[in-house]
Amino acid sequence: MSDRPTHSAGAFSLGGVEAHASRSLPRLLLPIAAVGAGLALLPLWLGHSRVLMGVAVLGLAYVCYTIAFNVIFGSTGQLFLCVGALAGIGGYGGAILADSAGWPIAASILAATLAATLTGGLLSFVAVRRSLGVIFTGIITLIFSLSFDALVLGLGELTGGDTGRLITSGAGTLLRDKIPPYYLMLALALLFLLVHGLLRRSHVGWAFRALRDDEVAAELAGVDVARYRVYAALVGAAMLGLAGSTYAFTEGRISPTTFGFGEVDIVVLVMLGFGGIGALFGPIVGAVTFTIVDEILIDFGQLRHVAYGMLIILLFLRLPRGAIPTLAGLWQRRRRPKG
Amino acid sequence: MLEVAGFSAGYQGNDVLHAVAFRVDAGEAVMIIGSNGAGKTTLFRAMCGLLSPSAGQVRFEGNDITRLPAERIARLGLRFVSAERHLFPRMTVQENLLLGAYPHRPDPQTLSTVLELFPRLAERRRQHAGTMSGGEQQMLAVGRALMSKPRLLVLDEPSTGLAPLLAQATYKALRVLRKQGLTVLVAEQQVPLAMAFSDRGYVLENGFIRLQGTTAELAAHPGIRSAYLGVT
Amino acid sequence: MIANILDGIVLGLQFGLLAVGLTLVYGLGGVLNLAHGQMAVAAAMVVALAQAAGLPIWLAAGLGLLAGGLMGLILDLTILRPVYRLRGEARVLLSLLLTLGVSFTVEGFLNWRYALGALSLRIGGGAVEILGVPMRRGSLAASAITLATFAALFLFFRYTSLGRAVRSVIEDQEGARLVGIYPHRMLRLILVLSGVLAALVAITRAMVTPIDVHSGLSITTFALIVTVVGGLGNVAGALLAGLILGIVNAVAADLIGTYISLIILLGAAALTILTRPAGLLGVRE
Repeated sequence: MSDRPTHSAGAFSLGGVEAHASRSLPRLLLPIAAVGAGLALLPLWLGHSRVLMGVAVLGLAYVCYTIAFNVIFGSTGQLFLCVGALAGIGGYGGAILADSAGWPIAASILAATLAATLTGGLLSFVAVRRSLGVIFTGIITLIFSLSFDALVLGLGELTGGDTGRLITSGAGTLLRDKIPPYYLMLALALLFLLVHGLLRRSHVGWAFRALRDDEVAAELAGVDVARYRVYAALVGAAMLGLAGSTYAFTEGRISPTTFGFGEVDIVVLVMLGFGGIGALFGPIVGAVTFTIVDEILIDFGQLRHVAYGMLIILLFLRLPRGAIPTLAGLWQRRRRPKG
Repeated sequence: MLEVAGFSAGYQGNDVLHAVAFRVDAGEAVMIIGSNGAGKTTLFRAMCGLLSPSAGQVRFEGNDITRLPAERIARLGLRFVSAERHLFPRMTVQENLLLGAYPHRPDPQTLSTVLELFPRLAERRRQHAGTMSGGEQQMLAVGRALMSKPRLLVLDEPSTGLAPLLAQATYKALRVLRKQGLTVLVAEQQVPLAMAFSDRGYVLENGFIRLQGTTAELAAHPGIRSAYLGVT
Repeated sequence: MIANILDGIVLGLQFGLLAVGLTLVYGLGGVLNLAHGQMAVAAAMVVALAQAAGLPIWLAAGLGLLAGGLMGLILDLTILRPVYRLRGEARVLLSLLLTLGVSFTVEGFLNWRYALGALSLRIGGGAVEILGVPMRRGSLAASAITLATFAALFLFFRYTSLGRAVRSVIEDQEGARLVGIYPHRMLRLILVLSGVLAALVAITRAMVTPIDVHSGLSITTFALIVTVVGGLGNVAGALLAGLILGIVNAVAADLIGTYISLIILLGAAALTILTRPAGLLGVRE
């Protein structure tokens, strides 16, 4: 009974408010530049501490993952529960190519990103072709995630298995310095924001919105729903591969938990849920907030999982549109009582 | 027995029915006739709790049943046989019939009465409902409703999708039930069939009740004769 | 080889029973419960704690089953309420996200409070020979209980009016309402049943191998895979898929190693979704 696809009241009703995509380029570039400038100042404050900068770099990696997930899930309603696995293809792929095959770092990153892109595209293509719907897409990608985990553990001589592996390429370069990795990841995050923003402004974005609001109506209006889904997955998966790979090289070591389902997918879901699914700047708000929250909760050990679990419940129960869009909506209603 | 007053209902805020009123007394057979899209199905669905009406009231045996959920209304003895039948396709005919009596223990007497009325069902007791023909499914839908010994049987387009002979057979069975004292309300597009069966009737057009009267009065009405009976 | 197949059957029966709860809850209410494994683990911990407190095993097991059922009831009464207001995919999606949150909460709590907790039910006595293969008494007892439970479920769904009413809601919810069945009451009943079954699997599994507090995710995963392969909402499919995947898993693990066997298992599930989305025994509507 309930696997019948529904339209306007379908999966997309869970999504956040789609902020009106602005037509003018400055109105897109200015906020991105503002976010960039704000985050660029952070090392002035935390730059003395290698540990805190490491946290900040990881936080930016999560910003990147969340933007990518937003492109795929937020824009086209494809529940990809393999964010960590796709980023992991980038991370492990890059490490293996650079260290074991002796490729240059840039080429390794590129190749690993390509691999992640194609994998994401393939998953989406299969899901769209078989019209899997949001649930089966979720299950298929979850199965893919678990397979990836099993593969990482099974191919111990390449991946280091449970304990992970060190990445020797890039050691001693700027990539392992205290501050430069931060700006590298920040550049990626801003680039991803820009790409997502431009996508939303283009006719692709128009198609995204149409198919999010009402898939059937979009199809009737001539939007090739299937094609745009695959596009979104390709773009998002490329972001994941690139971010995962770059992060791995700056970190110098990777392990199953670097890209684990519980460590990445769940966290990204919470971050996007908090920031607002589909909202352009939702990932920034969510990822920054939760990186800080996570730092605060770090002493609580296992209770952190409890906190995350409860946050997920609370977020999707009370604020299904995302905390920030809900608050923004309340604020606007107060300012303009007649809407 | 059943009184509907000022009843409006529709989908997504657009009313399809407008202040419809009618009544069914105990022991009567009443028809609601109208063309496709007149609002018959919406009326019955809202009346039986499958759809929330936007205004009006439904009283059944003196109790207000407006907006009660369908399962409550079914348990009060108002049984609705939908045009889509809503059988349980992967359960046997027997199981479908037994479920008709839920939550009470199925009464063997009633079961044999139903199987006598529809001998085809007796032949196919072990067959899955989904594998039967349209006519047999219609019999099963009626039979399932009868298993609860309903006070009022409401049928939406019992002739839908049936060959003329089968449609007539369905009405033949309904006539037998009437003789046993069952109160029946039927919506029908094939007006001659309904007229041969009912005592009184209402004409529903574009969501409004346009006419009402005894079957004889309606049959003599020139508008009905031309619009529904094909007599010019 | 025969030993592997027998091991696979023992495992597969338990997979199947685990999936039955998940599949019924989905079929009945469009709710995908990702906290299923954590419910099983939590019930196992109740049994372990009760045992540690000196209660006899049958009483401890009874408390575990009760705890499982109670968790199902609590899900129904609390976080699933808003889920029931939605329809279609939005409903499944919200249930999936919320129960994911529940699974994290429960697992985190158990890890925090009983980090080293585990349930292991040793059944004494020597091995019993079956088809020339020595089988542990624990495995045999577990399989016997699981089979008996399947038989009881079969009888319940086929021959009781309550069981038929549950099936009718899976088949046609509107039809069920029209004969006076309250779909939500059936769903609540089945949520409780699925909790009891999850607890039962945890207890019988503990007769074969220890269940620790970290087992939740893998239990949920296996249950989900078996459910999908068996067809969402299909009890017989769950049993069949459980047996097939259990045997495949045991044989592949022995021949090529654990990790690859898991990937084979996952691949099989993915293939089923893609080729027979309604499951092994599914019929296209």
